[in-house]
Amino acid sequence: MSHHTHRRDFLKCSAAGLTAGLLNDRLCVAARAAGGHPLAPRPSHHPAKAKQLVFVFLTGGFSHVDTFDPKPQLAVDHGKTVSAEDLRNITTQPLLKSPFTFRRYGESGLEISELFPHLGTVVDELCIIRSLHTDILEHFQSVLAMHTGSATVPMPSLGSWLSYGLGTLNPNLPPYMVLCEHLPYAGSQVWDCSFLPPEHQGTRIMPGDEPIPNLTTQAKSSTIAELERQMLRDVNEAHAADRAGDPNLRARINSFHTARGMMQVAPQLFDLTQETAATLDLYGIAEADHTSFGWQCLMARRMIEQGVRVVELIDSGASGNWDSHGDMQAHRPMAKRADQPLAALITDLRQRGMLDETLVMICTEFGRTPWDPGPGRNHWHRAFSSLLVGGGVKGGIAHGETDEYGILPVKDAVHVHDYHATILHQLGLDHTQLTYRYAGRDFRLTDVSGEVIHEILA
Amino acid sequence: MTHAAKLALWGILLIGSGSLAQAWTELSPPDDEDHADVESVDPQTLTEDETHWAFRPLSDPTPPAVSDAYGDHPIDRFIAAGWEHRGLTPVATATPRVLMRRLYFDLIGLPPTPDQIRAFEEASRNDPDAAYSELIEQLLASPHYGERWGRHWMDVVRYADTAGDNADYPIPEASLYRDYIIDAFNSDMPYDQFVREQLAGDILAKQEPRERFQEQIIATGFLALSRRYATGPYELWHLTLEDTIDTFGRAFLGLTLRCARCHEHKFDPVTTEDYYALYGIFDSTQFPWAGAEETHSKKLPRMHFASLLSEEVEAPLRATFDQELADIASQKSTLEEQLASCEESEQDRIKKEIEGLDRKLTALRRPGLPTGVPGAYAVYDREAHDVAVQYDGDPAQTGDVVPRGAIASLSPEPLAIPPQTSGRLQLADWLTGPNQALTSRVMVNRIWQHHFGRGLVATPSNFGRSGSQPSHPELMDFLASEFIDSGWSIKQIHRLILTSKTWQLSSTDDASNMAIDPGNTLLWRHDRRRLSAEPIRDAMLSVSGTLDLTRPGPHPFAPMQDWKYTQHNQFKDCYESTHRSVYLMTQRIQRHPFLALFDGPDTNTTTALRTTSTVTPQSLYLMNSPEMTIIASDFASRLMSESDDVSARIENAYRLCFARAATRDEIERGTASLSDLLGVLESTDVPTEDREREAWTSYCRVLLSSNEFFYLD
Repeated sequence: MSHHTHRRDFLKCSAAGLTAGLLNDRLCVAARAAGGHPLAPRPSHHPAKAKQLVFVFLTGGFSHVDTFDPKPQLAVDHGKTVSAEDLRNITTQPLLKSPFTFRRYGESGLEISELFPHLGTVVDELCIIRSLHTDILEHFQSVLAMHTGSATVPMPSLGSWLSYGLGTLNPNLPPYMVLCEHLPYAGSQVWDCSFLPPEHQGTRIMPGDEPIPNLTTQAKSSTIAELERQMLRDVNEAHAADRAGDPNLRARINSFHTARGMMQVAPQLFDLTQETAATLDLYGIAEADHTSFGWQCLMARRMIEQGVRVVELIDSGASGNWDSHGDMQAHRPMAKRADQPLAALITDLRQRGMLDETLVMICTEFGRTPWDPGPGRNHWHRAFSSLLVGGGVKGGIAHGETDEYGILPVKDAVHVHDYHATILHQLGLDHTQLTYRYAGRDFRLTDVSGEVIHEILA
Repeated sequence: MTHAAKLALWGILLIGSGSLAQAWTELSPPDDEDHADVESVDPQTLTEDETHWAFRPLSDPTPPAVSDAYGDHPIDRFIAAGWEHRGLTPVATATPRVLMRRLYFDLIGLPPTPDQIRAFEEASRNDPDAAYSELIEQLLASPHYGERWGRHWMDVVRYADTAGDNADYPIPEASLYRDYIIDAFNSDMPYDQFVREQLAGDILAKQEPRERFQEQIIATGFLALSRRYATGPYELWHLTLEDTIDTFGRAFLGLTLRCARCHEHKFDPVTTEDYYALYGIFDSTQFPWAGAEETHSKKLPRMHFASLLSEEVEAPLRATFDQELADIASQKSTLEEQLASCEESEQDRIKKEIEGLDRKLTALRRPGLPTGVPGAYAVYDREAHDVAVQYDGDPAQTGDVVPRGAIASLSPEPLAIPPQTSGRLQLADWLTGPNQALTSRVMVNRIWQHHFGRGLVATPSNFGRSGSQPSHPELMDFLASEFIDSGWSIKQIHRLILTSKTWQLSSTDDASNMAIDPGNTLLWRHDRRRLSAEPIRDAMLSVSGTLDLTRPGPHPFAPMQDWKYTQHNQFKDCYESTHRSVYLMTQRIQRHPFLALFDGPDTNTTTALRTTSTVTPQSLYLMNSPEMTIIASDFASRLMSESDDVSARIENAYRLCFARAATRDEIERGTASLSDLLGVLESTDVPTEDREREAWTSYCRVLLSSNEFFYLD
């Protein structure tokens, strides 16, 4: 049977004989040639400023007036009551000043609070959006909205839409990888592809010993693992020979080859021995650390280098996060954990010349109330802050303004749909054209609204 | 027209978003090729000729005359007419062994055992046709049939064992509804009755005779399982009812009613008034609440679970329970009086006693029903009322009140709903009455779909004008009429389909047919299908000898008094099980890892059609996961225990995995591979006595990962 490689031939060809790079090249060629690879790169709608996205999600709702939106008048009027409609259905509340000091950084002189001194050092790279708003002030719904545009019914995630719209640059790795130690509010729905084809699903990476499950063979030796692969190929080829022309069978045979590719590429991805001490220091990664937020940020850079289309970092789960109801001082350890690694990621991408083509978004699900008896703050969805960095977005600027207390946007309000529209735009996609037909209608990330924020584009 | 308007055909409206209605006024249908001819419809102006096919009354077409070569089975005659028209020649009939494996998976979702294979082969040698018919009957009578086909229905009704609220509360009673579905399929409950019970079982239960009192109440789990949102009891209730109405429309009528929440349906004759007429029916229905945020400080216990006892039986239990609550309350107030006037040294003791009573009260109230009263996650009528139209789907902006009712354009006359009732029974009557053609069409299409991999209408839950046209409209009506004439017997439709030559065609290729009909729309062959997630898992456990075919008891949820789930500490669990996959605990907030990997159901919304993906994580799982090693090792142990002979083991393995004999070449190659594996194992640290099992484990993992295992010819 000529289509069978002789069962002993494999013994001469060890797995190590096939380098990852070569395999990668071959797969890229195959993907292009086939044209039918569901993750093959697809043309953008217009020339893209950014090729890839890093989506940093700080869970729990960090307080805008304690981080990126300084409100001196809040300190002046501390304790005075404000009354307005719809202040969480409570009409009279005492204003609560920020316990943190702000200072100006960089040439732009943008103000950031003492919680983020490291981000201060890269302030001239940052576009601070101070007028973001969303629709619901519950964690679950707002986390979903920030990821999918929908606060209620689960819909495809931003990362899945980008994978669907653009394909991937490296078929050996998933197109959308999510570094997530603890499940966030709304669980895995936040990286779900919903009705989009399943290959666009986010792949959860667990910081720790086994970031991607099932990468290591359970066989008792690599030779046995290789023997199993050879046997499987023989069995499948014999089966396919009588069923020539069935592309599904061929695709499934190929998926085992791709899996081998991932088994070789992924461990290299997680192997930090090639990184210099200076880089590890920049991120604050200690020896044998493979879980810290610094490690996750460095992994994000490495995944971007490897051509992953979207890398998401979720800094904490549904508890132990930025949800500082009890005391705003609870923001300190959260910020301390995130500040240096985030600044390091921006610095590192810049130094490697990757920041121009990589868009970094740093966001949360909503802000926190500028009024409160204190010392903590409640959820507030009608004004909050977010950062966009690199990827053709102007650095060293603030966009939008809230009122003197940070309660409502007063200039250039940005809805989550506008935010998403802008991100898609920078990646070369028109948010009104990126659609998928499901249950009788065309759906899109931005539902029926969303305007690109042209003012912040470089 | 703006892109935004073009794309925003209808749908899910975010809270606070008011732009949809405006966008709507500018809309026109999408312009992709499938739908280019669809035009906006005003139901009032339609004449019969212009009516969309799905809204026309059922016809009862006669099977067309075709060449005698195609036999006289009515399905074959309808299908053959398409072949003759397009110049297609069907491929040959599949071999008995291929048909046997196809039948087993189609009807019960399990592979045949070697004994069953032998029995069928023997019977087939004597009388192939009789053996085949006998096998159909045997499988339709199997208790595992309901587990397979009940799962299809569970997809449609978005079954889950949790509520979907922000903490994803467990619902231990949900599995009663799951078992109801399985039993209904096994007993071939007439489909009209099945529909009526799921919509109005609680009302039917009160009518005499009360033989199926509990089952009928449980049946309304269909409604009770509507998706919950947010945290507080009945929060964002209009969205939950949107899920109720959407699932109702797609499941039974194949209509996307959700569109009409905010505006008139763009393509189908469904108005906003229709939507809120249905809304009134469901808003007059008491849904249960599964609990939320049960911390020590803040308790939102379960409520409005449906009692499974008749009023007469329940009354004394409820009286005892109420008395117990009253007694505790009175003890508490006595203690509180004492506390106000007691010595300081006594205060701590009294406070502790009061706390103890509070805890007792909480524990008693927690299940949402009096102690000793079994409950179901089901619905019952509450104060009946009509509701007002909500503009843009916003409950804060209301218009005229509309009477409770069904979809006006599909009803010859308004429903006669008694003022004191929700109207669910009348809605169910309307759905299953003689004038409603959609109900039977949609269901026979679902049955067809699960036998062929694709329905006669390729959009099984959208029969509206934005859905697909039927490939064989006359066959569709023939089957729907047969369905009703058979007393809505689902098993009768299985028999009809499975005895057709069309279903029995092989899955081989044919170049000239391929050139004419590459998508096989006209069914000149049987499409090769990958097994869906549950049969993959069940078959793996089955061949490894570890599948437990009994029905499990309740899910091993933690005792209710220990529940402390909040949005910050959601319920998240995954219980190990060797039972069939239909019995796995299903969560809304996260999917079971195996089912998620192999394209299992979306647990948040009604699923009409599963996708079939081929992605790398599946291959990694099969090659490298510890779970696969366990299954392969169990399989190896089974083979080793059933024979000492290598060839016999290989033959056994092929029968188990592929329902066929191994070829001589396969036995030789397998033998050689196993000897290679053993050779390599000699240079590992695997103890000598374990090497044979290791080698067979490798061999078994390969067979279980193979395309032949995963695909059905």
